[in-house]
Amino acid sequence: MLKIAVFIKQVPDTTDVKWTPNNNIDRSKMDSVLNPVDKEAIEAALRIKEQHGAKVTVITMGPKKAEDILKEAVAMGADDAFLLCDSKFAGSDTLATSKILSASIRELLPDTDIIIFGQSAADGETGQTGPCVAARLNMPCIGHVSEIVEIGDNYLIVISECEKESTTFKITLPAVICIHNYIFPPRIPRVCGYMNAQDYNYITYNMYDINIMEQDAGLKGSPTYVSKVFKCEDTRNGKVYNSDETDFQEIYKEIKKVL
Amino acid sequence: MEPNGILIYAQKDENNRIEPVVKELLTKARFLKEKLWNQRITVCVIGERINYENIINELGSYGADEVIIVSDDRLKDYNKIYYSEIFTQIAKQYPPRIILVGATVQGKDIAAYTSTKLETGLTADCTDLDIDDKSCLLVSTRPTFGGKLTADILCKTFPQMATVQQNIFKSEKTEHKATAVFNWIDIDKIENKIEVINKTTKNHSSNDISNADIIVAGGLGACRDNGFALIYELAAKLNAMVAGSREAYERGYITKSQQTGQTGKIVAPKLYIAVGISGADQHLAGIKNSGKIIAINNDKNAPIFKYADIGIIGDLFKILPEFIAEVDKDKEVKNEQ
Repeated sequence: MLKIAVFIKQVPDTTDVKWTPNNNIDRSKMDSVLNPVDKEAIEAALRIKEQHGAKVTVITMGPKKAEDILKEAVAMGADDAFLLCDSKFAGSDTLATSKILSASIRELLPDTDIIIFGQSAADGETGQTGPCVAARLNMPCIGHVSEIVEIGDNYLIVISECEKESTTFKITLPAVICIHNYIFPPRIPRVCGYMNAQDYNYITYNMYDINIMEQDAGLKGSPTYVSKVFKCEDTRNGKVYNSDETDFQEIYKEIKKVL
Repeated sequence: MEPNGILIYAQKDENNRIEPVVKELLTKARFLKEKLWNQRITVCVIGERINYENIINELGSYGADEVIIVSDDRLKDYNKIYYSEIFTQIAKQYPPRIILVGATVQGKDIAAYTSTKLETGLTADCTDLDIDDKSCLLVSTRPTFGGKLTADILCKTFPQMATVQQNIFKSEKTEHKATAVFNWIDIDKIENKIEVINKTTKNHSSNDISNADIIVAGGLGACRDNGFALIYELAAKLNAMVAGSREAYERGYITKSQQTGQTGKIVAPKLYIAVGISGADQHLAGIKNSGKIIAINNDKNAPIFKYADIGIIGDLFKILPEFIAEVDKDKEVKNEQ
């Protein structure tokens, strides 16, 4: 049977940002949610499961609280859910994260056929974790996947959306695909799904379980670091008119200057 | 000793023309070079076997000191596995202090692969680059948290890698010539696991807003009572392209490729007219390099007014017809002359 792993992430709800008095993001006051496009990644996996038969395992790296999003995934219909949780993982950048995630595949799910990611996370938005995990596992990777056309014994045919074209690719399995936003509207869990999620025994793995060295994870294993964070504030302070006192001739003159 | 030099990936289009983002990166690299005691700027070009003289001259005219060319007829079309592995091997042979790649779909693929194989850090989708005066490390600035925050990111390992968004830096020519090096890489040794079966080019003459001079964009406020019909009318009169916010896309008034903002396309037209767009942070982050921004909104507290050069508070259904009439009047005057 086809084996699918879906990597998901818990992110702060960026639609409702709370600030500290000195213009920092106040994560403690913000809700955490399942990254929206990751929900679509789960949906894509479940559609494959329904059409071809597959075992779908969702995996997330995060604190104990991240179990909430695993519950959501199991309620949607995932068969298994793993939490990669270790205090040494905290502060991992893309490089360290890709090491941890690829180690979890190698150690826990070595016979995975398809690994699915959402295109990018709402908080970091680098969109690089999927391709980096693929490179580490020596698997081919297709991003911006908008359609899964065909699944064969050792290949997968998908359509990928790029700036100028959409391309149909045939890739050798095992492979990584990243799901494009707004293409796979996720299902709403049914009552029995929520009951499964309540009963499911969520397994937690630490760094030793997946053979990760301390120097490879967290801040120690991350070459990049944030030196400064600032709130975006570049206002233009232009002129603002009320519509009844607007002189369109004047405005149009202004416009013509730049054209 | 710390490694030396800046390596840039030269993305080409299907007609072997260098993409504008490469020229933008080269222009910025000249500024970084000055702060790094004139370290060398090298550009890597991968492609079919053609005469590369024009490409070498063009890259030179934007500041490249050296152009490394890897050519083979199997490299005619972009192939992710070949291109990523070749660029990685070039970077390993070099190895440079800094690697810069355009944050296009292609560039991000290559950068992710290369950074993993070189076991180095990667900062994605940067909007600014600088050299830290004390450590002489690359400072990569990128938006985060849906564009609500900007972060400066440094990297402890070499090469320091960044992908940089298009349309952010200006590209400027200079009096300069590049030398060329032809490099051979054994492609037979690369196992190709990806095959292209079909390609459909999107019709971007009508909807590629990235290169538009004028954009008229509609938001939630225009998503009722045919608001978009007025937007299309104004756009037609101004020879502008129509775009919209995420809300307009989600309600089906525009296609995904017409969506501006960080979750859509980053644009930098000479004139951006925002109609009924309140100005979410992610939207503003995607339009902030526009020459002039005109905002029309009925909510005087809409954030967009802070970011606009000219703001008009009021009902778009009253304002747009007046605007259109003014354009018509101007055209009539021109015709009479």
